[in-house]
Parts: sequence; structure tokens; C-alpha cells
Amino acid sequence: MKVGFVGHPPNDIIEKYRSEELIDLDNDLGQVEEKSDLYLPKISCSIIKRVFNNALAFRPQKIIFDVGEGKCDSGRFLSWILKEHFSIDIIETRNQNRKGSGTIICDSRLPLREKFDLILNNIINNKDYELEREPHPSAGFWSVPCWDTRIFDLFPEGTRIFGWTRCFENGTPDDLEIECYVEKGIPTVFYAQTFCSKNLLAKNLARVYQGLYVDCDGRLTASVKAQIEAFLYLRGTSG
Amino acid sequence: MTVFADFGSTWSKIIDSSVKIIKTKEVPGEIIADFACGHNAEKRSKRYVNELIALSKGGLRLIDEKDFLLVDVGSRDIKYVLYRDGRFVETGWNQECGASQGFAIELLEMYYNIDCNRLELPENGYPVTCGLIGISRIFDEIIKTGDEENALARFVKGIAMNVYHFTGKPEKMYLSGGLCENRLFIESIPCEVVPLGRFVLVEGLKEIYKKGFC
Repeated sequence: MKVGFVGHPPNDIIEKYRSEELIDLDNDLGQVEEKSDLYLPKISCSIIKRVFNNALAFRPQKIIFDVGEGKCDSGRFLSWILKEHFSIDIIETRNQNRKGSGTIICDSRLPLREKFDLILNNIINNKDYELEREPHPSAGFWSVPCWDTRIFDLFPEGTRIFGWTRCFENGTPDDLEIECYVEKGIPTVFYAQTFCSKNLLAKNLARVYQGLYVDCDGRLTASVKAQIEAFLYLRGTSG
Repeated sequence: MTVFADFGSTWSKIIDSSVKIIKTKEVPGEIIADFACGHNAEKRSKRYVNELIALSKGGLRLIDEKDFLLVDVGSRDIKYVLYRDGRFVETGWNQECGASQGFAIELLEMYYNIDCNRLELPENGYPVTCGLIGISRIFDEIIKTGDEENALARFVKGIAMNVYHFTGKPEKMYLSGGLCENRLFIESIPCEVVPLGRFVLVEGLKEIYKKGFC
């Protein structure tokens, strides 16, 4: 049975379906038909559109949808739409876990792309990692998982991950304190998907930590790429 | 001879054996710069430099202050760098909402045969954040009042205010780009404006060449 999931549902619910074919609907699952243009407003964030397109393309028998504060209101409404208008069997969850499992991947010396792959796949391929900590990261990246993963290649190895992705690895997706945790002195890019309410945090955290705030609607634009490159270079970080 | 070029979307600023400003669409194909930034610069140069880095280095070369905000208003975008105490603090590049503002002013001046330098500063501008939306506001205003000069002046003021807001309502800014030659635009920005001309990014490229970076 195909079982989709959205956000970071509680581990005990994921465990119930561990033997099924689990599909992370937030992720890039290859080219699928884009039906979101017909049903969702243009001002929906690209991740919400992706979840919708993936759900209709893969038609899982069930979707475990985290609709709590660890996801977003758009996710909660989309969950309802998929259930009521598209007759998809939805299991709604609210992950309020506070027993953190650690952020060893976020803090490691790995390249950013590899870190994101490990973190995002860790629900399906659940493993414990032993990784060396990067004690002096030359850059930081505060973000949600990005629609366009080419952004990762702009950062040096060992870039420290902050924001919701850090919460995700820790298994505490609605922990605002961890989401807003940033280390002073690390040149940090604060990234959010356009139309996501996390832009509020990104802009203000960037102001407080003297970082770079950028938002992107799906594809990485030349201006966002240039801003990140210039920011890292002018702050003395090699990209 | 080392060739430096800032290939803008509509105008290219080139220093080789002479100093040139030519339409980008008319830049001879054989010109390959040693150091270049801007539109298609990767294909037209031996060394491509990120425009924001060129802008920063140009500012450091031309501005004798430790704290400065340098804003480049181009044909199609607005970008800025902020330095405090001699250190880079912040950058911004508004390519989407600042779209085509400089180019729209140029087109409208040509179409209506109006020189912005002759226009009076209007009391209010249009709330425009994009050249294309601004143009439709101008057409509406001209249909209503028939006053082309006032409509263009209000459009320029609106764009100037957009630049001012995008750069965080500063007390002072250094200005780079073609609009340095537009008196109305400069006077429309409600803070001290120091125009540095059209070659700031090229000066940045020269600085990069001098320091051996790239």
C-alpha cells in the first residue's frame, strides 16, 4: 500500500506504516502533472503546490498529514481539500514532540546538499548517523526544505543548518525556539519560499543576526543566486 | 590592454582604449572583456564577476567613507550594498518588483519627447513598484488629464520613492547608473543623494583587477 506523508508526522504513526511504501509528498518526486494551477491560488507556496501535485499524481491509499504548528495553515487547509474534494483518506496528525533526537547532520561537516538529503530521507530510511561536527562553520543556512535544490550548491561544505530543517532533524517540527535558534557570528542566509509565513521569521532573524534574507518562488532566480554568492564572498566565506 | 565591461540589459559601459557607453544590442560580437559583469557577461568575458561584488568594490574605490549605502538603479532592476565601519553589512537586489523601471523612464521620455531634466518636481508620485504597472498608470492619467509632463514626472517620483523604500529609507545614498543623469529622479528621492555616474561597476572591476581577485 502506498502511504504518503506531509511535514513531519509523529514517529509512532510513521512506525505503524513502516512496512508500507512510504512517500514523502513534500519532496521532488520527479516530473508530475501540475494540476495545482487549476485548483490552488497563484499565491500558494511552491511546496504546497508540490504536495498537491504529488498527491494527485501518486494517489496514495492514505496520507499522513501533519496539520499542526509544525506545518502551516496552508497545509491544514490543503489536507481538508484533499479529503473533502478529492476523496483521499487523510490521517491528520499534530506533532508536538519535545524529545529531541539531536541535530548531528545539521552540525556536521557534510556538504549542504548531502545534509538535506539525509535529513529529509530520514523518516523513510531511519538511521542513526555518526558524523564529525564542524566546529567553525563558515556559513549558515536558515530555511525550510527548498523547492529548487540548486541553492545548496552555493554554500561551502559544513554550512550549518538552522530553522525548520533543524527542527525536522531533531524530530520537533513545531518547536519555535529551535526554529529561531541561530549562532551569532556565522554569516547566515535566511531563506523562505515566497508566500510562506516563515518569511516573517526569516526577515526579522536576518535583521537581528545581520544575515541575508531572500525568498524564492520555486525556481532559484539569477538575482537570488547573485545575492547569496555576493553575501558569502563579501563576508569572507568561500562558496 | 585590459578590457573592462559592465554589460547592462540595455546599455553597456566599456573601458578599453577609450571609455564607451553603447547599446547592449549593438555591442560588437568580437568584444570579449577581460573582466565583466552583467547581462550575458559569462559569455562575453574571460572573467565574469558577480554584479553585487563589482558594485561593492566600485563603492569602496569611489567613496571615501566607512559607512555608506550605494544603490545601482539599472534598466531593469535595483541593487544595493550597505557598508558600516568599512565592513559589508547587507545587500539587496530587486529584479522582480523593480522590473524595467529605468527602461520605462527611458522609453517614455523618447515616446513623449520629454526631457525629465526640464520637469518640475511633482508633489506626489504614483505608487508604482514595477515599470510595466507604472506605464499603465501613466496612460490612465494622460487619458484623464492630457498632461503628459505631469504624468511622467509623477511616474519618476513613484519610482524614486520605490528605490527609497527598497533601500530602507536611508538618510543618504550614493547612486550608480544611468539615472544619475536624471535630475528629476534624484530630486524625487527624499534624502541626500550623491550621484556617482554610470561606471561604478566598471570601477569595481578595475579594483578587482588591481587587487588580483577573481
